[in-house]
Amino acid sequence: MQPEFGDIIRFLLDCPPFDQLDGEQRQWIAGQIKAAYVNEHNVERFFKDYSPALYIVRSGGFDLFTPEGQLIERLESHDLFGFPSLLSGRDVVNRLEVIEDGIIYIIAGADFDKLRQQSRAFERYFIRAHEQRLLTETQHQRRPGGATPTTTSPSYADSLQLPIAEVVKRAAVCLPSTATIQQAAQTMREEKISSVMIVDEGRLLGIVTDRDLRNRVVAQGLDYGIHVNAIMTQAPTTVGSHQRLLDALTLMTQENVHHIPVLDANDQPLGMLTNTDLMRQQKSEPVMLISALNKAADLASLVSEASHIPDYMHSFALRVNDAGAVGRLLASLTDTMTRKLIDFYEQEHGVAPASYVWLAFGSQGREDQTLSSDQDNGLLLANDLNEQQLQWFAGLGDYVCEGLAACGVPKCPGNIMASNPDCRHTREGWLERFTTWTESPTPKALMYCQIFFDSRNVRGNKRLYQSYREAVAKLGRSEFFLGNLARLQSNVQVPLGLFNRFRGTESGKDSDLIDIKRYGLALVNDIVRLYSLHAGLTEPRTLTRLALLQDSKLLNRKDNQALGEAWQFLTQLRLQHQLAVWGTDHPKNALDPDELSTLVRRQLKTAFSILKDCQQGVGMKFGRIG
Amino acid sequence: MLGLRRWWQRRQLLQRGWRGQRYVALDLETSGLDPKTDQVLAIGWVVIEPPLLDYQQAQYFVVQKRPDLKQSPVVHGMVTRDFAAAEDPLQALQALTEVLQGAVLVAHHVQFDWQFLLQFAKQHQVKLQPLAKFDTLTFEAQRLKQQQHHIARGSLTLTACRQRFQLPEYTAHHAYSDAVACGELFLAQAYQYAGRTNVPLAELLARCK
Repeated sequence: MQPEFGDIIRFLLDCPPFDQLDGEQRQWIAGQIKAAYVNEHNVERFFKDYSPALYIVRSGGFDLFTPEGQLIERLESHDLFGFPSLLSGRDVVNRLEVIEDGIIYIIAGADFDKLRQQSRAFERYFIRAHEQRLLTETQHQRRPGGATPTTTSPSYADSLQLPIAEVVKRAAVCLPSTATIQQAAQTMREEKISSVMIVDEGRLLGIVTDRDLRNRVVAQGLDYGIHVNAIMTQAPTTVGSHQRLLDALTLMTQENVHHIPVLDANDQPLGMLTNTDLMRQQKSEPVMLISALNKAADLASLVSEASHIPDYMHSFALRVNDAGAVGRLLASLTDTMTRKLIDFYEQEHGVAPASYVWLAFGSQGREDQTLSSDQDNGLLLANDLNEQQLQWFAGLGDYVCEGLAACGVPKCPGNIMASNPDCRHTREGWLERFTTWTESPTPKALMYCQIFFDSRNVRGNKRLYQSYREAVAKLGRSEFFLGNLARLQSNVQVPLGLFNRFRGTESGKDSDLIDIKRYGLALVNDIVRLYSLHAGLTEPRTLTRLALLQDSKLLNRKDNQALGEAWQFLTQLRLQHQLAVWGTDHPKNALDPDELSTLVRRQLKTAFSILKDCQQGVGMKFGRIG
Repeated sequence: MLGLRRWWQRRQLLQRGWRGQRYVALDLETSGLDPKTDQVLAIGWVVIEPPLLDYQQAQYFVVQKRPDLKQSPVVHGMVTRDFAAAEDPLQALQALTEVLQGAVLVAHHVQFDWQFLLQFAKQHQVKLQPLAKFDTLTFEAQRLKQQQHHIARGSLTLTACRQRFQLPEYTAHHAYSDAVACGELFLAQAYQYAGRTNVPLAELLARCK
């Protein structure tokens, strides 16, 4: 009888994609393996005698070279090789060299094919690995005894990730703009709904809600025979049916509305999404949390509601599949708190004496905030303010930044906060600052740019913000400046050393750790920012920037996709790491690659090598200019 | 006359290069240490054709239905349940005879396993005739002595020997995985000794006498 192969099976369980086979398949393949003891004396015959095949390094160390003598990879325990030849049917031309004697498992081509036919997951893994698209592969199984938490399974999808189209079940209830107020109220009664859309010739003009009937009709003593267009909210905020529920939620809180019309791909009204829909959908804690923040009547109750955020975010993070959702939700919570704090300040000191914009920069601006991200904000002010008005805004800056700190968003050690006079400027004042940075790019100035070019309007005058943002975008297109930014980026050393091995980025006792924010995520953001500056985009979010760069001539589609996947992978990895070390004094952004599972380690290497390539691309395209 | 011819043939085979030979790495679970009174409980082996260990030709047999275990489960970890699946010892012995034909028996402390095998085969009137026997333990002891190492207590266990060759750690201690572990150790030892040359098998064997 065949033995049980216990050790081999345990090894295969920790060696993706073999962990995705079922027990029977794994048992079978374990019995088909030939194990070769490979050393300097027999290595040159290795490929001649045993190819094509899939090889798994069980022990020892080997270098794989191209026929031209270029090193492809240093292979260590758990590494797979040989599958490109199996998949492409081409002969093995690479050369193997022994660093340390060891055992290589050989799986014959026919057995490999059999497994590919039997297991789609197994097949998919190798196709992706062959196309270097491993980053989209998700961890299948918890590593036994491993310290790294793994991705939740897709079946446990968080409903906030559902496309809006799946939630909007009933067709849009529409009235023409010539309908009377009374007709609107009757329609709402008959349909048992709290809002109607006002649509002429298929075009959405506005919406009328219960609250409008109360506030704009009854309270004002208006005649019910008047046309609804007199009382509707014109050009309301809308969402596309392909967007996610979380996007709708973010919009609702940003705009403080409870009804959002949903439009299809052709801008035709599809239905109405209400906050009750969201609640029903969700048993929605994010919605409740945001509305609790919105309901806070004073600073003390806001701070007390905000103290639930870390706990809540932990459970939310464990449930969602899309790690980016956590950053978006956190940013939207910070936005909500900021707006509340501005309201409180206005209650005490009167409304703003002039138009202004509360700006979010950095991670809040990009919506990739984490629980340890600190504040980056500023104020954009109208021109010609007198001393008293300036004083009002200075007070606002102090109040909101202190308030945010009390709500758990740490103050910025670099003092990029609206409480700092350097971060409160008129449009011209800000442009002057940007000009200094772009024209005389000291390293510090370039660092600033990486924060200030990612901005969003949290509260205030939209037109003022738009005009500011467009002028900033114009400054950002300077080739001289882009060249300098590119050179700064190529100085960042991707933590992959010789032989494609991880290299620690930290010093002292943490020297084995890799800071995946500074040498990973920040680098993706920087590279993508450079392309968007060049394209004159005003969008701050990295993934949206990439989507807008789809047709860029400078950034090809493959790199665009790879950067997006690297961003998502690194965001996910950082999130998991932060959850694992939360409440301890372990570094929040630095992790030990040896503690990662085999698959995640391979993926991290892939992400870094994508960054390395793109960094070179940036250097070539921008670095020589200026 | 027949004996002489066999002797001659064997001599010829031993003069051939070691890499062209077939080896059977084997391990036994026994109920004790004395081949005269204790029993073979299970046999595991794997076939080696350098540099390959072929798991397809790996075998594992439980050979006692109602063994006299005494204190031995402490050592081998086998319990009553494992013996329910026991197979006909004759079948195991026949498979072993076949695989050992013209092959070198490899074990860690080969004399121990061999004494038990001889007794076991005799009980069932079977004759085991490996081409030769290779002892990874003696080979290692000779190697260390040659390097003027003091041989510390415990430094000749299978695990300790494997560590010196940076072979992976195996957790299961089981006749089969110990056979594989021993087979890998044999390859590491042989390649380290022979290097690029395909030295005669006899020369390797001389190093574990």
